[in-house]
Amino acid sequence: MQRIAIVQGQHAIADDPDTIITTLLGSCIAVCLHDAEAKLGGMNHFLLGEPEPQHRVRPEDRHRYGLHAMELLINAMMQKGAARHRLRAHVFGGANVVPAFGKIGTANGEFALRFLGTEGIAIGHCALGGILPRKVEFRPWDGTVHTSTIEERFAPPPRPSAAPQVQMQGSDMPDEYSHGDVELFR
Amino acid sequence: MPAASAIKVMVVDDQTSMRAMIRRTLQDLGFRDVRDKPSAVEALPSVKADRVHLIISDYNMPDMDGLAFLQAVRSDPVIGKTVFIMLTGSSEKSVVQKAAELGVNNYVVKPFAPAALKEKIERVFGELT
Repeated sequence: MQRIAIVQGQHAIADDPDTIITTLLGSCIAVCLHDAEAKLGGMNHFLLGEPEPQHRVRPEDRHRYGLHAMELLINAMMQKGAARHRLRAHVFGGANVVPAFGKIGTANGEFALRFLGTEGIAIGHCALGGILPRKVEFRPWDGTVHTSTIEERFAPPPRPSAAPQVQMQGSDMPDEYSHGDVELFR
Repeated sequence: MPAASAIKVMVVDDQTSMRAMIRRTLQDLGFRDVRDKPSAVEALPSVKADRVHLIISDYNMPDMDGLAFLQAVRSDPVIGKTVFIMLTGSSEKSVVQKAAELGVNNYVVKPFAPAALKEKIERVFGELT
């Protein structure tokens, strides 16, 4: 089984049944897109834009990074044969793991849900919010996804997003969005 | 100095969210007549029927991409001189080069700040009021 690990600012797509795309999330978001007919999937990992002590990013500018990250993933999927109207999404992350950053995880999750709603992309499974980081493992070929919360000490440190890149081929969130330890979705 | 409010704009992007963001950005810059379409296939007859001064089009779109759209606009005797600004991804230098060959007026790399879009428009139209 080939494992493609992506980090913040990256995305990966694959259509191989023996490939899994993985990532670790703190306040970032991972959107997994799957086209069941094309047997193709992809995952991105993005942050709307991290406020830094010396340089505060305006909310409207943060959204530009999220929009761009989503567009890159969708375009990459479509170039490999996916159809926009067949896309189904799983959404993970958006935990408020660093109290000093306030509710940035919540804002990230809200952006992702709003984007998918606006674009008319159906949402399959959604695990957002809470305070614990998550590990996500996505099998792009059939769209199954496995996620688990992990101890905070294993969480990736957030850093500001610049332009998202291709890694390789291939308000408060309601509590019900925040799931427990181990889940397996299809 | 042209008034932004007098410039008719057509925004073409297959993502609803991106069209909305560009529309808001243009309106913040003073543009008043901004229309949009989700595809070049729909935009082409629209700008032929109701001419605009400026087309802002994404490159990466299904059916007809931004380059094909640009080519179609440039080859039309009526709308051939319409100002055309292309939106591209950061790693698509070959697209920019091809667009330049086809007569694009300028290009903007996503994700872009409002000031970047304003600057690219002003390089073509002059300083906006």
